[in-house]
Amino acid sequence: MTYILDDYAILSPLRYRNNWLKLAIVTFGILAGVSSSSPFVPFTIALCMSFATIFFGKVPPKFYFKILAVPAGFVLVSIVIIAFFFGEGANLFEFDIFGYTLGVSSQGLNMALLILARTISGMSCLFFLSLTTPMIELFAVLKAAKLPDSFVEIAMMMYRYIFVFLDVAMGIRYAQTVRLGYRDFKTSFRSMVMLGTNLFIRSWEQGEKLYLSMNSRCYDGKMIMYDEKRPVKMPEMLLTGAYFAIVLVVFWLTRGISFI
Amino acid sequence: MVVILETKDLSYSYPDGTLALEDINITIQKGKKIAFVGRNGSGKSTLFMTLNGTHRPKKGEVLFHGKPLKYDSKSLREVRKSVGIVFQNSDDQIFAPTIYQDVAFGPTNLDYPKDKVAKIVHDTLEYVGLTHLKDKPPHHLSGGQKKRVAIAGVVAMDPEVIVLDEPLSNLDPVGADEVMDLLNELNYFGKTIIISTHDVDLAYGWADYVFLMNDRKVISEGTPEEIFRQTEKLKEAYLKRPITLEIYDEIRKRGIARASKPPRDIPDLVHTLRPQNLMWVDVPPEVKEGETINMGILYGEFAQDSMYEAANCKVLHKHEDGLAIVEMGRKPLRAGSISIYDTSAYDNEELLQVLKNDGIECVGAMGKKSKIVAERDEIYLHVTSGVIDRSILNALSGQRCLILTHGGMVDHALERINGYIEKSGINLHVGVVNGDSDNGNGKGSC
Repeated sequence: MTYILDDYAILSPLRYRNNWLKLAIVTFGILAGVSSSSPFVPFTIALCMSFATIFFGKVPPKFYFKILAVPAGFVLVSIVIIAFFFGEGANLFEFDIFGYTLGVSSQGLNMALLILARTISGMSCLFFLSLTTPMIELFAVLKAAKLPDSFVEIAMMMYRYIFVFLDVAMGIRYAQTVRLGYRDFKTSFRSMVMLGTNLFIRSWEQGEKLYLSMNSRCYDGKMIMYDEKRPVKMPEMLLTGAYFAIVLVVFWLTRGISFI
Repeated sequence: MVVILETKDLSYSYPDGTLALEDINITIQKGKKIAFVGRNGSGKSTLFMTLNGTHRPKKGEVLFHGKPLKYDSKSLREVRKSVGIVFQNSDDQIFAPTIYQDVAFGPTNLDYPKDKVAKIVHDTLEYVGLTHLKDKPPHHLSGGQKKRVAIAGVVAMDPEVIVLDEPLSNLDPVGADEVMDLLNELNYFGKTIIISTHDVDLAYGWADYVFLMNDRKVISEGTPEEIFRQTEKLKEAYLKRPITLEIYDEIRKRGIARASKPPRDIPDLVHTLRPQNLMWVDVPPEVKEGETINMGILYGEFAQDSMYEAANCKVLHKHEDGLAIVEMGRKPLRAGSISIYDTSAYDNEELLQVLKNDGIECVGAMGKKSKIVAERDEIYLHVTSGVIDRSILNALSGQRCLILTHGGMVDHALERINGYIEKSGINLHVGVVNGDSDNGNGKGSC
């Protein structure tokens, strides 16, 4: 069985904490990270969030760093370019290549570091949310956010059937592979098309069966929300408060300070 | 007997014109266990869809409580509340993101207030033994668990009739057994259970009444004993005879079973075995006719775990080549007993006391709740599937058995065992060992 983010979230011990508290933590982290002009604040946030995800959320560190490595890889490539091509003023160091002079100014380096810090902090906030809050918990949040009922209901059913079709698709793909359906480019293409067609027909049929089964249980336009009451406990309150305070203090102290 | 569902000259064809059902006339009595048996594509599922008004028949009508089904949305709601359908593929039926939401779906749509819905869902989940999974998404469940969720979703609406399309397909033996236990218990509480299956063994052992279907039609109906003796009809329906009946016929042809009502389960089958009184054995040359020889060794080889012990044999006739016809003087050992422990009044210490004092050799658990209790308190279970049958067989061979069960299944088990005692004439000691329901009807041992 392959684990996807949602599976970690379902098994996470932080799943049973108040959803709104988690959302508040994440929103605060993203906003503070983006509005800070020094890279210290986003780095602090990234550290705190990663610590919370791994330590309180019991996510295997190896897995956590693996998924963090994907956006980190992108951003590393882009900050190299930003460092070289942005910023004015005296270059910290430079070298000649084919007659052009490439150099990194302190302004460019600062900008690159800030972008790196913001990206990592934003990602760690989002991973904190997606690794501790499964989709099934968020439906109630969507509903409370006054999204239309039918939108939420369709979202719920889509969520359910994503997994059914994932299973079907994996089954078909496997059946195609063992019969050499992905031998070369041409057969792969053909097999992919067949898989797509088949899934489309299956989802159509599934839709009809779904309609039957909902009717068989007297569907009357009502679906219940999974809305557990989870009051915020004192330790959580204190921990969140402390986290907010640390971030705000760092924010205040590093006002206008740049790395170099 | 109250008739709950009825069809009259029912025909149905699919929108593309293919005839799917032809002149179906069936009568279903309240509180019975009904099986529709037929091969794949014989029209069982389509018939079920007409019973709750999903398919509107082309000709003929469906009667629920004697009144013809109407197809306006209000009447349809009524009938769908009373006739619940469990689909063959659980994934077609479970569409909510969590188990809790799925079981709550029916009651919510019946406009029950929120706290009543919560209570119903809680009770139903506990009843099927899935409370610990209530906030899991369905794709984290096994096939057997999904099937029980699907059944719970229907049971939560408290229907009078529960229709299950191939309830045991894709289930492992123990999972299948748990589903059947659940159905038996629901039936015990007065629900009419209708299943479709092509498993003749299941239909033969379980059902009260069987409809045989082939090629869009009901080709025969009756009690399982009647239906499964009709070899020609079975052949026509592309089915075969139940294995219990096959074995019974074969051993009867060989003269080692007595003629009786056809056996429906293994205890029945064992009971038809004729005790072997006369047999050929090799004897030492010095033995003469009329002498008694000790055949104690036979105990291990021929009468393993039997309630009888072949102690001594009388030589009746002796052949030249050392073979002799002997008559066994069997003497009974001890008869076993079956105790039932009701886990709704569970007390670990008391149970351990019972296990120790009564010298229980074989413990079985029936129903998910009891199994969970046993697992939690590390009570070793010898039997987890086919518990009643197995316990009867073990008791017949002298063991003291204990069945852990709860709720309606206690009475169901008592009824089954007492039924066997009555039918076979063999007295087993049976009774409930705890709780206030003191129906320890001591039958005495033989």
